[in-house]
Amino acid sequence: MGRFWLIPTIGCFLFLSTSVAEEPDDLVIHNNLMDHGNGHLMDMGGGMVMGQNTEVLPGGCDSISEEREITVRAGHKYSEKFPGTIFAFDQQQWKVKPCAKLTVHFINEDNIRHQFMVHGLPKYIYKAGMFHLEATGPSKISGTFIVPGYDQTYLVHCDISQHMEKGMKGQIIAGKGGISMPSVPGLTPQIIPDSYDDETLKTGGPPPSPVIPTGSIVVATAAGGSLLTGTLIIGLAFGLLGAPILARRFKNMTPAEIIQELSSMATKIIDWLITKSKPLVKLLSSLNLRKILEELDHYKKPALACLDWSKKTLIKLINRFK
Amino acid sequence: MGEKVNLVLKPLKKANPKLMNDLTMRRHPLRSLLCAFAVGILIIPGYSPAQLKLPPSVAVDKGKVKPVCNVVGRKAWRESQVIEGVQIQESVLCDPDNPYTVAAAVKGTNNVSMTTLMETNFAADSVIKKNDRDGDGDPDDIIIKLEVMEINGHSPDFVGVVPTFDVAPGIQPGMWVFAPKTRGMSTESFVSLAANPMIRAPSPAIRVEQGDRVWIVLENTHYFPHTIHLHGVDHPFTDITGEGNDGVPQTSDKYVLPGTRRVYEIRPRQTGTMVYHCHVQTHTHLAMGLVGMFVVEENQPDNWVQSVNIGAGHVRHPSVGVLAQYDQEYDLHYHALDKELHNVIQNYNDPRLIAKKMNREYDITDSTEDYFTLNGRSFPYTIRESLVVVEPNQNIKIRMLNSGSEMAAIHTHGHKATITHYDGIEHNPVAQITRDVYDIAPAQRYDLKISTIDDGTHSYGQGIWIFHDHMERGITNDGVNPGGDVSAIVYKSYLSENGIPKTKGIDISAYFGRKFQTRGVPVFANLDAWNSLGGVFGLEPEPAPKQAVPKPVVTPPLVTPNSGNAFRNFIVGLLLGLAVYLLYIQREHVARLTNQAVALLKTSTGGVK
Repeated sequence: MGRFWLIPTIGCFLFLSTSVAEEPDDLVIHNNLMDHGNGHLMDMGGGMVMGQNTEVLPGGCDSISEEREITVRAGHKYSEKFPGTIFAFDQQQWKVKPCAKLTVHFINEDNIRHQFMVHGLPKYIYKAGMFHLEATGPSKISGTFIVPGYDQTYLVHCDISQHMEKGMKGQIIAGKGGISMPSVPGLTPQIIPDSYDDETLKTGGPPPSPVIPTGSIVVATAAGGSLLTGTLIIGLAFGLLGAPILARRFKNMTPAEIIQELSSMATKIIDWLITKSKPLVKLLSSLNLRKILEELDHYKKPALACLDWSKKTLIKLINRFK
Repeated sequence: MGEKVNLVLKPLKKANPKLMNDLTMRRHPLRSLLCAFAVGILIIPGYSPAQLKLPPSVAVDKGKVKPVCNVVGRKAWRESQVIEGVQIQESVLCDPDNPYTVAAAVKGTNNVSMTTLMETNFAADSVIKKNDRDGDGDPDDIIIKLEVMEINGHSPDFVGVVPTFDVAPGIQPGMWVFAPKTRGMSTESFVSLAANPMIRAPSPAIRVEQGDRVWIVLENTHYFPHTIHLHGVDHPFTDITGEGNDGVPQTSDKYVLPGTRRVYEIRPRQTGTMVYHCHVQTHTHLAMGLVGMFVVEENQPDNWVQSVNIGAGHVRHPSVGVLAQYDQEYDLHYHALDKELHNVIQNYNDPRLIAKKMNREYDITDSTEDYFTLNGRSFPYTIRESLVVVEPNQNIKIRMLNSGSEMAAIHTHGHKATITHYDGIEHNPVAQITRDVYDIAPAQRYDLKISTIDDGTHSYGQGIWIFHDHMERGITNDGVNPGGDVSAIVYKSYLSENGIPKTKGIDISAYFGRKFQTRGVPVFANLDAWNSLGGVFGLEPEPAPKQAVPKPVVTPPLVTPNSGNAFRNFIVGLLLGLAVYLLYIQREHVARLTNQAVALLKTSTGGVK
């Protein structure tokens, strides 16, 4: 009877030993790195650590709050649970205390390079504000850095072209964290999402032809293009809203009178524009337009998405009323 | 059409004059307005009032332009020098190749000091050279590692592309390239979106020595499967382990999947200018840029060859065999890009969508190429890095590859060159042809010998002699001339301090601006004092859409972004709006009229057929 305690223990042991992912036989351990100073370590096999810092306390830290070790795995196989990605880390988020001394064991399970790159660290300690591990798999490379003493969220990614965009992205949350990173697989949405609207699986048959919603206000022009554009919608809105005003203004006028009235209005508007635009142009040229435009560019895609949505809604409404 | 209407209207008129009166004459203020608008809209497209005075010419500014040579502080890179014992030729271009990269490519990244390596973007294990098997003073076991890199690709996080590589000012088509294995960031730095200098088009020219044991390692860092096919290079169909070695997924090795590696093992017995390219969905993958030059150099003693030539162009450390006959060597890689194909990777993030748009919706049989590059760039950027700089009485070896999908007809001004090799095979010396247009088929290679002997045939003397595709679309950027694959043979006496030719013609600075590239500058602007062929106000075409176009608002077929029709569309929208309002206001009346009309039609169908 007394020996039965062994069974759950052995079971538990077996469970534990299998739950640890099996290391490939040819896993290279990059543990013989050459120190090139300033936290930069490298070996001839392509293993690289940058921004290693085991000692210098960043601002806001009197002492190390905790010593943490995390193991991060990277590879194509971790993208399986995130449709539409190709590469991923095994986890997407790590929570640490501010002032934590964080040791990262990075295991790359692919036969290509991957990186564990942290951004946004203070530049007076970390060159370019980065902590960086890099190795060609299958291999393991480790490095340590100290997290600053305030609540913040740090971007973690692989900077190889398109690896972050195609899924290899995560975030380190220090304390309560800051603003979340966009498009972290399974955690945060993309700022500029793809449209899947016309993705019905077509098997054989003729090639996809332009989909025109039936009964909608899409009118083919003589040139063969579609009229349903942003400007048309804007025009439609102006027409609907402006009609009562115009109706009042042009009451009891003949077409000839209306044309005359319109042309005099147009002249007035152009006059006004010319007189008013001079100081405006002066003002604009004094501003750093390029910078402002760059800023605005940032909002362009969301704005376009918004327009897209309103248009679709309008089409839906029109179809419903039909 | 009109007859049919009349068929309906005539009996209507007869049957119910009052209704017709209602239909045609009823006055509502908005109706007159609508009528006025409609007349206006009809007039707009063909508006041409008889005018005594035509619109005046307006001066159009060239806009913001980049400096013709933007590279500063590279004086030391231009000089002839020795690094790690490697003799590196002078390269007096505006943007010369990094001599440390050349040295590391010649010696192998495993044989150079850490200081030299850190001056490059090479990974430490990128080019490995060892074992002098034949005892002739150079290594014979060569490992060259290639990654697959996307440039000007999409981001789901911001508008714009990354990492950027400008083919010409503001022109950033999405591309894929084989890149030598690099280390660190894909961009130049944390603050820049520009690709690091080793990640660029074209895929690098690779050089090995005849008889070397060469392992080309493809580390597929990309999100699609790829392979390498060694086009024209002596390679066995299978390697020693029995694995396929030809790079064709259907007959030889399988796909090299994302995150995996494949080693192609060769020991080329024959020399020549060859090609390597991806053989997965070749019609799109090759066009995307997964194609480069592969040169097998003659086996010579103490022959350390420059294993990779980043961005092709000037070979700053030619092989022993080449130096025996020539003073200089240049790799000229011509390519052509169809923007519809290259935009796909900028418009979608999901690789499944990209695969579908690229290989199931994009139809190469309907394609037209828009950009024409020489060594990854189009004019005017070609003059920064792809000039052939010569001196009198020199012999220059040109290796030429056309990886576009149509013929190119390269013409050298001021020189007639001799075609010494076709596709890597030497042409019978007695039968070799000397000419000034080299018609080169897709995937074909020519070796040319240019002699700068001023004899009226080989050279007409010193100068700035351009060379370009004579398929004239090839000298445009998306139809705007000058552009495309134009470069020049420039005699050193015609080259200024910063590597830009001392041109004697019109000002070329406008070409370095986005405005010119997007059709914003009139072709003959400021020709004379009163700008007689300048722009006309109001007739300037809208600038072409930006290359890095944000995703179309809906799917492309539904909405054609046609800025020219914007005003028209607005007016049509306005009219529709007014009409809807009018219909709503008059709904009872309209309903009544419709009922009457329907009733009438029903009763009179017998009479109308």
